[in-house]
Amino acid sequence: MKSGLVLSKSMLSENPIAMLFLGLCPALAVSVRVIDALWMSVGVILVLVLSGLAMALLSRHGEVDRGSAAAGLLRALVITSFLTASFEAGLLSLAPTASAALGIYAPLIAVNCLVLGRGMPGVTSPSLGSSVAAALGRGIGFAASLVLIALVREALGAGTITLFPVGGFGGTIEIPLLVEQPVRALGFAGGGLLCLGYLAAAARVISGRAAAKSAGKEAA
Amino acid sequence: MTYPTRLPRGGVDPPAEILVPRGSGIENAAIPSRALIPLLQHSGKPALCLVKLGDSVREGMLIGKADGSHSANVHASIPGVVVEVRDLPLPSGEVCIAVAIELGGEFETSGKPRTRREWTSLSRLELLDRIRRAGVVGLGGGSLPTHLKLTVPPGSSSSILVANGVDSEPSLCADDALLREKASDIVEGLRICQALLTPARTVIALGEHSEDLAAEYERLVSQEGLRVEVVVLPSRYPHGHEQLVLAALGGSPPGDERSATVLNVGTLYAVFEAVVLEKPLIERVLTVTGFPVSSPRNLKVRFGTGIRDLLEECGGLRSEAAKIVMGGPMRGVSVDSLDLPVTKGTSGIVAFGGREARRRTELPCINCGSCIEACPWGLVPTRLSKLVRMGNAVAAAREGLSRCTECGCCAYSCPSRIPLVAVLREGKRALRGPDA
Amino acid sequence: MPDVEDRAGPAAFSLMPAPHLSVGMSTSRMTWLVSLCLLPAAGWGVFLFGTPALIVLVVSVCAAVLAELAATLPFRRFTLPDGSAVLTGFIVGLLMPAGVPAFVPAAASAFAILVVKQTFGGLGRNWMNPAMGGVVFALLSWPGLMSQWITPRGGSAQAAVMPPLGALRAALGAPGVKDATPLAVLSRAGFTFSDIDSQVVGWINSHVLAPLGTALAPGTFDVLVGHVAGGIGTVSAPFLLLGAWFLLSRGVIRWHLPVCYAGTFSLLAAIFGGLGTGQGWFAGGPGFHLLSGSLVLGAFYAAPDPVTSPLTNRGKCIFGVGLGILTFLLRFFGSLGDGVAASIVLGNCASPLLDRWTSRRATEDVREGAA
Repeated sequence: MKSGLVLSKSMLSENPIAMLFLGLCPALAVSVRVIDALWMSVGVILVLVLSGLAMALLSRHGEVDRGSAAAGLLRALVITSFLTASFEAGLLSLAPTASAALGIYAPLIAVNCLVLGRGMPGVTSPSLGSSVAAALGRGIGFAASLVLIALVREALGAGTITLFPVGGFGGTIEIPLLVEQPVRALGFAGGGLLCLGYLAAAARVISGRAAAKSAGKEAA
Repeated sequence: MTYPTRLPRGGVDPPAEILVPRGSGIENAAIPSRALIPLLQHSGKPALCLVKLGDSVREGMLIGKADGSHSANVHASIPGVVVEVRDLPLPSGEVCIAVAIELGGEFETSGKPRTRREWTSLSRLELLDRIRRAGVVGLGGGSLPTHLKLTVPPGSSSSILVANGVDSEPSLCADDALLREKASDIVEGLRICQALLTPARTVIALGEHSEDLAAEYERLVSQEGLRVEVVVLPSRYPHGHEQLVLAALGGSPPGDERSATVLNVGTLYAVFEAVVLEKPLIERVLTVTGFPVSSPRNLKVRFGTGIRDLLEECGGLRSEAAKIVMGGPMRGVSVDSLDLPVTKGTSGIVAFGGREARRRTELPCINCGSCIEACPWGLVPTRLSKLVRMGNAVAAAREGLSRCTECGCCAYSCPSRIPLVAVLREGKRALRGPDA
Repeated sequence: MPDVEDRAGPAAFSLMPAPHLSVGMSTSRMTWLVSLCLLPAAGWGVFLFGTPALIVLVVSVCAAVLAELAATLPFRRFTLPDGSAVLTGFIVGLLMPAGVPAFVPAAASAFAILVVKQTFGGLGRNWMNPAMGGVVFALLSWPGLMSQWITPRGGSAQAAVMPPLGALRAALGAPGVKDATPLAVLSRAGFTFSDIDSQVVGWINSHVLAPLGTALAPGTFDVLVGHVAGGIGTVSAPFLLLGAWFLLSRGVIRWHLPVCYAGTFSLLAAIFGGLGTGQGWFAGGPGFHLLSGSLVLGAFYAAPDPVTSPLTNRGKCIFGVGLGILTFLLRFFGSLGDGVAASIVLGNCASPLLDRWTSRRATEDVREGAA
């Protein structure tokens, strides 16, 4: 399968959060502030891509038993945990506030990535390009959904948008009316699920239209 | 003995008044100058046409022969000449051959007294033969050939025989008028059926507005020495339905596997005419009613008479008439042509004015449960109709769709004006197969 | 007399499927009747709380109407005549405190129509009561604003601070307060009622009840008539009950749900209500609790919404009992307002299950129904 197709498929029609409903637990917890969502996305993309790369390289060039599923799982566990721990350590030293904000969900990136990595073309068709594309696609898809939800939840639910502090910019944008009386319901998990639901509906409509269009193109 | 018995459940009370003046009796409708007689006026196969263009026919002559056992004879209701034999689309949607007769010649039997034949010495087969030859079918709505209904396996009998004098639809009162005018003939017809079926129990069921007749009928049956109960049933639609009448009367005793027979009083009168007067079935009593009708009345009508003639006879339609229904207001079929003929199955003609005939906007189902309370059969119409609309008629069948008798109680009580009967009918059609 | 021949051809008569008769009460008529029956309570609320109350009501109805138009006009449907949008907005407004800023009822109404109702397909397709969903949304989002009460006209100064229910909670929180009825607790805690109340209660006590040896607690009149702080429509139990009686007589709502709901709640409140607050058994004050908060409005107007309540009468009874239990638990042991809106929303989740449990089996014989 072409890498480009794999990439776009993982981002849209197989979007982990909006279409496959994978990784919802950290998705709901971390999407309360945009900055947390951004850091989480960075971590997930890094770990997914690097572990995908590592797995693909190992199956191509390594002396490994391709047929054993348990061995494959063990491999995945070790690689993903190692990468996650590295990311955690890096985050702790580079951006300790972010690390504190992510809390328990930082180490949970490992679990998340294992879940997101299910069914990826890594071991099955060890084409390096498609492996990386799939991992990148899923990571970006996850990130996009997460940040979208976080934007809505924070803007409406807290009246702010928190980003990376750059230079003179403190990092928090305040929305004038909402910041005094935000729609707190969106800050709760229930409100998060509501946003997720609408995002999922929108994703289905868009991918449905895209599929219809491409089917129309093929027929024509 | 008269006692009001309760409808088991459900039913509705449509506020349809009887517009026919009380005590106005049955008038003979004018003989039509042209009668269009369909060869399918019964349930079963259409009769085979025996006449062709140009043939002259006598009154009461056989013009359609029953095609097999599940069919019935059709007779000419007026003397004259056959001027047309064509296909006629019936209000039910079926198409059959119809014979148009132009009035002419003399009336051999009308207006002249008929001799009463003896029948008590006849065997069952001979009695059934007289009934079959006269083309008697059920006049209460089912149009089943009556000789089939009165046939029981040799040596067996019926568990209960009911003379159903309960008008099956609101604002129709033909059965009531017939009960008043032809009491002894109806009882005689009942005697004939008793002889054929030898039921363990015989009941005459009267509707609430015929309650005053109970005493007279009790007197009649005791005079004749018949073992017949007279019962008054509450007027709650669809109380006139066979199964509900039976349920209200207590039905067959548990364990009694014999059949229960319910016959409309109009059918009993036709049985009387067929057996005692040897007269074929060429006319029936029906009610012409509705607010736009100038003078509603009960008429004895020859089959083949057009609706147009009947309405004119009732003083004509006022201009606001917007819907014409053949049958009753709950189950009748609305028609757009006044040239359709009256047949054996026509129990009434109802006209509706502008406001009543207004098309009602359908709103979504709000789950109010009124249809469930109204259904006399214990069905859940809202669920059945939703399943049918989703294309899942099979699931609806599992939940009892085939028990629906299209009585209309559910659609009547639906505040969202959902055409439940039409939807359920669609579902039943879907079940019969795409080729049905 | 016009000749029958004058009738034009087939186009003159309409063809419609049987039956050709229909019951008089239609869905839209039912919905508008409910709105009508809420008018007396709304009027009383506006009389008590003045212009702010009127603004809240108008804003919430308008927001609901606009939301409905926004959701249906793009699809070329016009659903306002069925009356449900107006009713939803009306109920949302009636549950708001009069002092709430206008954007809160607007947001609640919009949420109710757009998210709770139209997202799932519009009238008949929603599984949650839209008005209750909107109110819960408002309670969760702006808890502080949803407690901005206004002194009712002629009410005591203290009545501006909080409604009797809230005051009772606060009073019971203090240690050492043990007494029989909620009103007694309140007067012990120093909660004052209006002058009219003291006059009326005083008159009744001295002229009618003194010979009998009993006395009404101060505040009885205020709570009964609704002369206290609270939601715009929820304070006026007598007017609500008047409207409810009219609806019951017309068959628009059936008695099963409201009676089971209010009955179960009163029973539980009477027996167990005092336990959590240290008053002991059978000391819950059911009358006080029935009239406080939005129970009457919820039981007679909101919960019997046919779309979200069970189909069968048996199901409605079970639903009512369940709601009574939920409201009791949420009110006495929970912290989210008076528990009515939240319990209705929770109970709606169980409606389809109750439908399934209480629907007739398809194989039931017609004769089994004969009693």
